[in-house]
Amino acid sequence: MLDENHRWLLSFYRSSEISGSLFFGRLARSMKPSPIQADMTKHFSDEAQHAWYWTSCINQLGAEPIKLSSAYQDQYLTAAGAPSNMMEILAITQIFEKRVVNQYARHSRIPGINPIVRETLSRIMLDEKWHIQWISEALQAMEPKYGKDLINQTLKRFYEADAEVYRKTTQEHEQRLAHL
Amino acid sequence: MFDKDDVKEKISSFLKQPLTRLQDDVLLTNLVVESFILVEMIIELQDEFGVGLVQEDMRHVKTVGQLTDLLVSRKAAATHA
Repeated sequence: MLDENHRWLLSFYRSSEISGSLFFGRLARSMKPSPIQADMTKHFSDEAQHAWYWTSCINQLGAEPIKLSSAYQDQYLTAAGAPSNMMEILAITQIFEKRVVNQYARHSRIPGINPIVRETLSRIMLDEKWHIQWISEALQAMEPKYGKDLINQTLKRFYEADAEVYRKTTQEHEQRLAHL
Repeated sequence: MFDKDDVKEKISSFLKQPLTRLQDDVLLTNLVVESFILVEMIIELQDEFGVGLVQEDMRHVKTVGQLTDLLVSRKAAATHA
């Protein structure tokens, strides 16, 4: 059985996956057919599946997910400002995906972690690594249009915003995350 | 070329809001339930009108009028360059 802190954390992961899927889904719908749109389509289907994995995981542990009003990435727009073009969207997503992989890897190293949770984390991390890869390649392909320097500056700016959002989130939910 | 009214028509169509609601001083954030919708709309407007923006351009854009002015002036500047 899950304790309340674990149930909240897994629900938080689930909520972030749903938000990511919806955002990329809408974005993919508004794009013209292109290799980026194709990868984005796969990306949002992965995120939706991850949300389902978390629902299934929570259920297998004898609990129900908690409905959360906001997801981690909702705070990005406040901290970093809204992205205004596809390069900036991919840059902010790249930083976010790296944060997700780091968080999931950290979680999976907890001694005595429930095997169902560990298995769910492992399955998702495989996809997340591909997400980082395709976005990295797409950003590289955008260098002639935006310039390598601007892309690197954008990544740096979002990296700093992410560090701030992560710091605030861990501070706000200190008790819930104490076991990590 | 296009003018402010063309941009407003596109915004109206994207957000499914009547044109009468899109007065220049209306805050963009008051037209949507979540900010991500604005991100999608900005991308779509750039595609539609052939204008490229970066985050810095949007830093001081808060209202419908500021957004339409920015797109129109950017297009004019690009055309005359």
